[in-house]
Amino acid sequence: MSKGKLAIVGVGEVPTGRYPERSRWDIIYEVCRQAVQDAGLDKNDIEGVVTVAPQAQPRLTSEISFGKIPEELGLKGCRDVCICNAGGASTSNCLRLAEHWVNTGLAKIVLIPHVTVQSTIPLEEVTGFFATAGMDLQWEYPFGTTYNGIMAMVTQRYMYETGTTAEEMASVVVALRKWAALDPNSMFYKKALTLDQVLSSRMISSPLRARECNVLADGGGAMVVTSAELAEQITKTPVYKIGAGVRYSSACLGLRDDFFMFKSMRDAAQEAFKEAGLSVDDIDIFQIYYAYPVYQAVALEAFGVCRPGEAGKFIMDGHTSPGGKLPCSTIGDAIGRGHTGSGVSMANYIETARQLMGRAGEKQVPDCKYALATAAGGSGMNAIISIWGRDIP
Amino acid sequence: MTEYKKPLPVVQPWSKAFWEGTKQHKLLIQECQDCRSKIFYPRQYCPDCWSSNLGWSEASGKGKVFTHTITLAGVEEKFADDLPYVLAMVDLEEGIRMMTRIVECDPEKVSIGMDVEVVYENITDEFTLPLFRPVTGK
Repeated sequence: MSKGKLAIVGVGEVPTGRYPERSRWDIIYEVCRQAVQDAGLDKNDIEGVVTVAPQAQPRLTSEISFGKIPEELGLKGCRDVCICNAGGASTSNCLRLAEHWVNTGLAKIVLIPHVTVQSTIPLEEVTGFFATAGMDLQWEYPFGTTYNGIMAMVTQRYMYETGTTAEEMASVVVALRKWAALDPNSMFYKKALTLDQVLSSRMISSPLRARECNVLADGGGAMVVTSAELAEQITKTPVYKIGAGVRYSSACLGLRDDFFMFKSMRDAAQEAFKEAGLSVDDIDIFQIYYAYPVYQAVALEAFGVCRPGEAGKFIMDGHTSPGGKLPCSTIGDAIGRGHTGSGVSMANYIETARQLMGRAGEKQVPDCKYALATAAGGSGMNAIISIWGRDIP
Repeated sequence: MTEYKKPLPVVQPWSKAFWEGTKQHKLLIQECQDCRSKIFYPRQYCPDCWSSNLGWSEASGKGKVFTHTITLAGVEEKFADDLPYVLAMVDLEEGIRMMTRIVECDPEKVSIGMDVEVVYENITDEFTLPLFRPVTGK
């Protein structure tokens, strides 16, 4: 069990967007230095580096896999390195491995970086990467599947089963972009959208319109984590991991009995709540990262915030937006942040930490004590839930 | 025949019979001879009981649309000539759910629950894709 065994003590981040002039190693230096300095530590205090596997960047992945980060940055105290690849679920696995390292003493303080630069990859290549990553080359790809197509089919079925309207689905994007508009690290900073702007954008893969699909972006972030005991000596604002749960579903969408991941999310969340000793009512922010709008609705229903089929209306009524009674996804999920491959989850955890440290700027949710963060990989292969707190209940 | 530029299925030894079947315009479903479960996609061992005693039976080719999407943009160049196309998941009568396309109809007319039947598209000398079209008439 993971209650109170891991704490985030420092974070670093660069703004998400298209910055072809900013190299991958520029970003690695920047976010790692920020995170270490944010924790008030020296670079040589870092004893382990567990990196989020970058997607669609094979040379960088190779360099990081074979140990270049500690050498490049001169982390003289580093004892070991590792890279974790589980697509969008990579950061969660970095955190779990770091948890093991800090609690066994293998490495007392661990740095977790992520970087993605997609703007310098030819469009056809990056489109091809995302058309095949997480897709089955025999049973899905020959028919012309894309991530948008897969998520469109989930959305179509969800709307059919629940009666959720196109306006309600579009309002999810409006809510997410309201948060993004307050986020200086978002490519959509100060760029909120109206419902009409979402609904009038061109259809990409019905029922998903352009503004309901993700925009690929460059970005990077890093966290410094350690044990709860050490965290209290390092900072006045440690952010503790206090509960966790996870469920695997399937690689292919067609084989997913739990088509919307409802049960996976529900069961994983119940496990996490039980471990934390909290209930859904104790959560101040739901940091939902499942990359497409439909899952914002499914998650609220799975967690028991809304009755099945009622989340669309709840979101359209503004309850998850800034100033609402139940803030959700305060970086705006992938829709609001821009899609940085495996990096949206990193941004989601960094934001969770910032909120609990009371340093989320204009997005700050008042008196935020507990936040729930989600993650998933591939086209929804798993539901990872963790609960974080500024204290250990 | 112009060269086929879209991706071909990447076949495994235990799925060969499926693609041999579609070439002969038969939709074959793998079936465990021990626990009788219907298996899709084909495996080396039964995913229910891990038996290696697996056989094949021919499906009726009839099913219903479980979900679908009209793909209009955002695809690789090699799929661009197909736009718009209807991606769908079809539930076969045999209890199997397959990714496929719905063809031979107005994309806007495709709906969840629609009755469909298999139709075969010979894409190369080696490969035939199982697609579906609405059941009409009667």
